[in-house]
Amino acid sequence: MSRIVNGGNSQPRWLFPFVLIVIFMLSLLPLGRLAATGIASAFKGGARDIITDPALWQSVYYTLTTSFFGMLAAIVLGGGFALLLTLFDLRGKTLLGFLFMLPTMIPPQVTALAWIGMTGPSSTLLKAVGLAPPLGSPQPLYSVGGIALLYGVQHAPLVYLALRAGLLALPRDAVEAARLSGASSWRVLIDIILPLSLPGLAAGAAIAFVSGVGNFGIPAILGIPASIYTLPTLIYAKFAAFGPGTFADVSLLSGLIALMAVIGLAVEERVLLGRDYRVIGLSGQVAVFTLKGWRWLAEILLWVTLFVILAMPLMALVASSLAPAYGVPLTPKTVTFHAYDEILFRQSITRVAFTNSIGLSLATAIGLLVISVLVGYFLVRSKSRLVPLIAAVAEIPYALPGVVTAVAFILVFAAPIPVLGFSIYGTIWIILIAYFSHFFAVGLKPVVSAFRQIDPSLEEAARLSGAGFARRMIDITVPLVGPAAGASVILVFLIACNELTVSALLWSAGTQTLGVAIYNLDDSGSFNLAAALSVLVVIMVIVMMLVLELLANRLPKGVVPWRS
Amino acid sequence: MTKLLSTFTALVALGLAGTASAADLVLYTSQPNEDAQQTVDGFKAANPGLDVQWVRDGTPQIMAKLNAELQAGNPVADVLLIADTVTLERMKEAKQLMAYKSPEAANYDKAFYDADGYYYSTKLITTGIMYNTQAAMKPTSWEDLTKPEAKGLVTMPSPVASGAALIHAQTLAAVPGLGWDYYKKLKDNGAIAAGGNGGVLKSVATGEKAYGVVVDYMPIREKAKGAPVEFVFPKEGVSAVTEPVAIIAGTKHAEAAKRFIDYVLSEKGQEGFLKLGYIPARNGMPVPAGFPARDTIKVLPIDPASALKNSEADVKTFTSIFGGKG
Repeated sequence: MSRIVNGGNSQPRWLFPFVLIVIFMLSLLPLGRLAATGIASAFKGGARDIITDPALWQSVYYTLTTSFFGMLAAIVLGGGFALLLTLFDLRGKTLLGFLFMLPTMIPPQVTALAWIGMTGPSSTLLKAVGLAPPLGSPQPLYSVGGIALLYGVQHAPLVYLALRAGLLALPRDAVEAARLSGASSWRVLIDIILPLSLPGLAAGAAIAFVSGVGNFGIPAILGIPASIYTLPTLIYAKFAAFGPGTFADVSLLSGLIALMAVIGLAVEERVLLGRDYRVIGLSGQVAVFTLKGWRWLAEILLWVTLFVILAMPLMALVASSLAPAYGVPLTPKTVTFHAYDEILFRQSITRVAFTNSIGLSLATAIGLLVISVLVGYFLVRSKSRLVPLIAAVAEIPYALPGVVTAVAFILVFAAPIPVLGFSIYGTIWIILIAYFSHFFAVGLKPVVSAFRQIDPSLEEAARLSGAGFARRMIDITVPLVGPAAGASVILVFLIACNELTVSALLWSAGTQTLGVAIYNLDDSGSFNLAAALSVLVVIMVIVMMLVLELLANRLPKGVVPWRS
Repeated sequence: MTKLLSTFTALVALGLAGTASAADLVLYTSQPNEDAQQTVDGFKAANPGLDVQWVRDGTPQIMAKLNAELQAGNPVADVLLIADTVTLERMKEAKQLMAYKSPEAANYDKAFYDADGYYYSTKLITTGIMYNTQAAMKPTSWEDLTKPEAKGLVTMPSPVASGAALIHAQTLAAVPGLGWDYYKKLKDNGAIAAGGNGGVLKSVATGEKAYGVVVDYMPIREKAKGAPVEFVFPKEGVSAVTEPVAIIAGTKHAEAAKRFIDYVLSEKGQEGFLKLGYIPARNGMPVPAGFPARDTIKVLPIDPASALKNSEADVKTFTSIFGGKG
């Protein structure tokens, strides 16, 4: 039967039910539970208070503006790096790409703290060189522009990865054909490469936008001092003032965010609509253009950008971790390693947080890899009318701020699980399943866009030659989506490792994550400890990236995203 | 690839198994991390062999977490050590606390613990004014923060994020001549209210703001480390919270929880707080370095019953003035 329903794209019978179960567990169940709570409270009249609250509409406005301008900044930064590093003959590409990936691995609240440490009157760095502005000078980052700028820096690597995955899948044949017909490099770039890379760019931009809508760490640290509330910080504030109506309020607010996300994704769909860019060919063979005399200029531009967005904030962070107290200028005499001593040898939370975050991120990344490949295959190949719906439903948890995902799973799992009779609330498992739900879209997107670029005729040929589903997957599909799948694993791991908002509400004794630990240290006034732990996290991330770098030759080409 | 995957799986299993250990006692506290760790270390030294896990967050956030857990009928915490008695009074009324008559209570003023044994104050934390030593004006009263010299230079914690900040606002709002009008004047003078005490400390010490309303031990401790800050007890008086400790009803570790209460109230436990820079609640203890004599600190009165009754309305009033939340 299923063969008839699915036409030429034969799939095993279990795939459709599998996809449905995944979507139900990770999206429909928690979101439905949340919606039910919201609707119930709307009927009780709770909606009017919320809707008529001017603070709500203000925060809707701030959420949209910061996310939009943040997306533009991410496109400029990430798009620029992806094009220059992938298509042109620059030197030190591996190192540049490697360094450019770092900002997204740094927890957003740390990014914000590092940038604050770099600018304004509080800068330990500026104090150390005697350039700090006078007392009470405004901190320029406490503004819509500041939030958008840091969204851009934080999310640019997402655009970079998505666009680069698209560029790596470009066929050399088309470029060569154009060249043979006499097209200049510029024309090839404009007429062939850029249009073909649009799906990747649009996917990246959409991820950047929804990431901005859901970001918590940056608006919490930069927005709140300036009374700029985005929806996530508004929801968190409502939770902090926990009252009888909290669950109802939060479920209504999250409905609003869901709406925004759906609109954002619909725009993306529209961009992709009617453009079928499936191409035959091996990925990873990219035409490289020569810049000739412009090369050194481009290289300087990239290095200076990296210095400003990466090196300077990190230096400020290190300076803060070495300062003995707030406001003390850092000199060789005042430098102290007390914060590192405390973090490494006194605070029990450090070990707990590292173990939890790494374990959770690995489990999430690997689990989602398996799920994403199967679901992605279904979404692209199935002729079912449910496909657009399933694709949209899968996106929503990531589009929602982490705090909403967390609330949804609290609602689902607060009571003991029926039949089994035990509760996972307050354990690490509720964080794990919330991570699966929340990062599903991150893992799925690159895989889906890779599937979109594969011509089904390859698989058809194999099927006609008698290859079963498993054999076709192993021999054809998985190798072709390998680079995108690898990129998705790394993306999920890195984002999960620095996650704050989901775990901010779900953590309990013994299940603190790194994001929670850093935020908490800063919140309790121990900025130097927060900075020290952040520095350790950055070092850990760099070490992991170096390990991947060493393994790169054994992995499928393109799995390590910063490598050419 | 298979090898890699199995290595990953093994690592994950290891990581998750490592966190599944059940502690002998779980403490929820609003103390800063270093202090929480010291308190737990001190307790563990006095009670060898007990494994203690602790969780730190602002009092309202801790309560949000605990409330959610209580609603789920599955509280994780055994012991609570948070900013104010008002919250604990509410929990006592909701029957969420377990009574325990600690023998150490004999050394405490009756005002410092619940007669039925539901909670015990552990220290005295006052809220006053800190300023950056580069600031032009040296404030001596709450009114000074509404002067033109302080325009746009004042920051304070929000009651939404700090238990002490709520008590402080309620205390000042009840002082004749200050009241909510005082807060409106502060707002008109460009004052900001957001986040917890830690944020105020950072903001003033680093010079983003010149003046801050903050709990005493933070600036006094930072000053000792060399930070360019001063703390003053304004002449009208200061508000105070007492960071009480209590046992959650239905705890699975009642014995360990009782031992924890006894420890923090004991002379040794109180000395630990003293070393961290807090004024101990126990009778006959000195004040930490940098504090004036205890009898010279004028603590403004607060009526716990009305504070409890009005806390939600007061938070609303406060946020309606400052338009702020967390």
